[in-house]
Amino acid sequence: MAQRWESDLDEDLQDVDLNLAIGTYGQNGIYEDAQPRIDEATLLAVQQQMAQQAAFSVVPDVVKRFIVHFHQAVLDNNLAEITVAYESGWNKLTEKYYQKTEWPEAEVIAPLVNDDQIFLILYRELYYRHVYSRLQPDIDDRFHSYENSCELFNYLLNSDGPVALQLPEQWLWDIIDEFIYQFQSFCVWRTKVKSKTAEELQLLADAGQVWSSYSVLNVLYSLIQKSKIHENIAAVQEGKSAEEIAEIVGEYGVRPLYRMLGYFSIIGLLRVHSLLGDFTLALKVMEGVELNQKSPFTRVTACHVTTYYYVGFCYIMLRRYTDAIRTFVSILNFILRMRQYHTRSYQYDQINKTADRMYALYAICNALSPSRLDDNISNIVKERYGEQFAKMSKGEEGIPAFEELFIHACPKFINANPPPYEDPDLLATYIEEPPVEPAQRHLGLFLSEVRAQAPVPTLRSFLKLYTSLDASKLANFLDADEEEMVQQLMVMKQASRSVSRVEGEKSLLDGQTIPTSDLDFVIDENMVHIAESTVGRRYAGWFIRNTEHAQRVYDTVKNAPLPPKSGSASTQQHHQQQQQGSAPPKSAGQKVAWGGVKVN
Amino acid sequence: MVSASEWVQPSTRTDLIENLVSGVDRYNPNNVGILEDYLYHQIRTEEYDCLANLAILKLYQFNPDLYNPDVVINILIKALTSPFPDFNLCISLLDERAANVNPDEPDPLPALLPLLTTLHNLLQQCRFPAFWQLYRSDKSESLRDNYTVECVGFEDAVRRVVVRAVTGAFKRIGSERLSTYLNLDVEDLGEYVQKLGWTVGDAGVISLPSNPDNQPVSTVVQENIQLHQLTKIITHAQVA
Repeated sequence: MAQRWESDLDEDLQDVDLNLAIGTYGQNGIYEDAQPRIDEATLLAVQQQMAQQAAFSVVPDVVKRFIVHFHQAVLDNNLAEITVAYESGWNKLTEKYYQKTEWPEAEVIAPLVNDDQIFLILYRELYYRHVYSRLQPDIDDRFHSYENSCELFNYLLNSDGPVALQLPEQWLWDIIDEFIYQFQSFCVWRTKVKSKTAEELQLLADAGQVWSSYSVLNVLYSLIQKSKIHENIAAVQEGKSAEEIAEIVGEYGVRPLYRMLGYFSIIGLLRVHSLLGDFTLALKVMEGVELNQKSPFTRVTACHVTTYYYVGFCYIMLRRYTDAIRTFVSILNFILRMRQYHTRSYQYDQINKTADRMYALYAICNALSPSRLDDNISNIVKERYGEQFAKMSKGEEGIPAFEELFIHACPKFINANPPPYEDPDLLATYIEEPPVEPAQRHLGLFLSEVRAQAPVPTLRSFLKLYTSLDASKLANFLDADEEEMVQQLMVMKQASRSVSRVEGEKSLLDGQTIPTSDLDFVIDENMVHIAESTVGRRYAGWFIRNTEHAQRVYDTVKNAPLPPKSGSASTQQHHQQQQQGSAPPKSAGQKVAWGGVKVN
Repeated sequence: MVSASEWVQPSTRTDLIENLVSGVDRYNPNNVGILEDYLYHQIRTEEYDCLANLAILKLYQFNPDLYNPDVVINILIKALTSPFPDFNLCISLLDERAANVNPDEPDPLPALLPLLTTLHNLLQQCRFPAFWQLYRSDKSESLRDNYTVECVGFEDAVRRVVVRAVTGAFKRIGSERLSTYLNLDVEDLGEYVQKLGWTVGDAGVISLPSNPDNQPVSTVVQENIQLHQLTKIITHAQVA
């Protein structure tokens, strides 16, 4: 089974011929004035070489040195040096020289790295990522970045045995993350038929498997199978020894590079399936992956955050708001705690943006299924989305607020298939009647769930005032027909029950129905009896906050300089510096984890 | 407590189907026939397997050439009466497709989809009398005659949706009201509720047995913190 998928992948990859590709839509047309006597190809080669030399000469020396150094680090499999080059060097030089232009092309810097094809593939990976994040990728960039990804995965998957290459975990995550981002970006870009040039239309008509859903899934599944990551996870959970695990996962799986790529590919599948609107499958592929902070994928913060975002979102689309809330609370608290360590990370912005979207989703869930799971997070939500939250808690008239937050916070949905570029007639129809955008389709489905329970907030506010009440009287208050109101009560009842994951269940899809509301009622023929659960005073949070506060005060007092004594000012200062070095002042925010504080 | 495990993996699912649903073979277009046969088996029996049906829609999503509107409609009819949001999960996989190119074989889905969606919304909003009214009306004739008539136990499946809603919300319910929900006349109603273990009392008021959902109790939720949960902060204070 595995082999068939890999052979499919092989076929895809055989279609990719970089030279041919460049020949087709690279420099064509630039040298039209070439003298006919000279062989066109030779001339082109010479001119290209000259252009490359010219390009090489303008590369700043510091960049050249960086590339040589970077290359050496990769050759040596020196993870520490690679990490420095990858996380710091590349970004610093980007800020300095390549804020608004591309890095030198791989062909230009090839002489610096002895034409090392593997390094050049890795270099292009960074090159295109820079184009996508800082500049506007054109169609050539999009096609070539796909080809380069294929070459990279081809090298990893189809060499003779596992490759010796080692890369930092962060980079491995970024490779998978970027691969899916570029896929998603391409899918969005290709749906905008109107703005395409004739040349682009032609290229898209011939695009074949370029960035197709199947080709992307093939890569992810191949990495998962090669690394035997599922077997690996299962073995770890069964408590097998390191030797046993090595035996099980084989020559690929024992290498950190393959193991982590396998792991990240599972998260990649979660994301791809979410983008395609298959929320059940998205959660199903996570089978076996434990969602806790000890899981290996949490070592890369960006991966950790992405995972929780998509899992939470899928739960919303499965109408499991309690599970969604729990997922968001867990990761948002983590982000708050990690904040002080991450402000300087180049991914901080991205993590912050995702966190903001999760606050919005949390607001949505809380409006649909009010809970008091975490006051800390709820307060931040009130600060950021208080206005929308108030509207959403009002039923029907809150629909625009749901709409606004959903569109702000949902994934960038895509269509699985391109517009019919290969058929001009169909394409004309497509332009005339463009289909509904995927995000709008999913919004519509989500809103139908919201509308179904729109009467709930109003009913709730009335029921809260009584312990029992005549149905006709309640209908009167609501200015509604009694029968209609009874039906709404049934809706309310159903909205206050939800499937929710119970501890110990393996699959993210498993769960039991639990009551999710503090307000419950029953209809006894024509009487409504209401019961409300209240939350007793909470002491734990208060205790922890004040202990922390006392600790901070104590530390400050302890670290404060003693009143200066004459003659000893310099030693005093020295002493103070030492103290600051060893005991940094406590900043705000929860330093001490809450542990497993649970409210039952 | 209703568990989702029967939804994730129904006990009636065979190993063959389980392999398709959980394995990488689910992407192989050659397997669509097996899954479609399984759907028609669900139509003829009262079995239901949402994830297997979603696997069909996934294959249609990736391979538009495989698209078969009758299959999609049957999947949606099955999803209509599920306690989970299956209906929307199915719709969500129906990507926008180009307008029908073959005028000889008109695609029945575009005409039926709005009707199915309305029926779904009515069930979701517990507007059961309105559901039956629409379902029995001329507007639904083609749906009834071409599709639901083949779907064994469809009306009973709708009634089970009603029973789920009523069981949670009512202690006692008037038989007139319940008969409009179930679309049964008084005689059939007596027989139907008897099977459920509900009792018909004076003046036709039906009593439902107690269940966790229809006996609300007021509680005060207290937090329960154990000392060991605070070890971190206490240790910290000691060290400092």
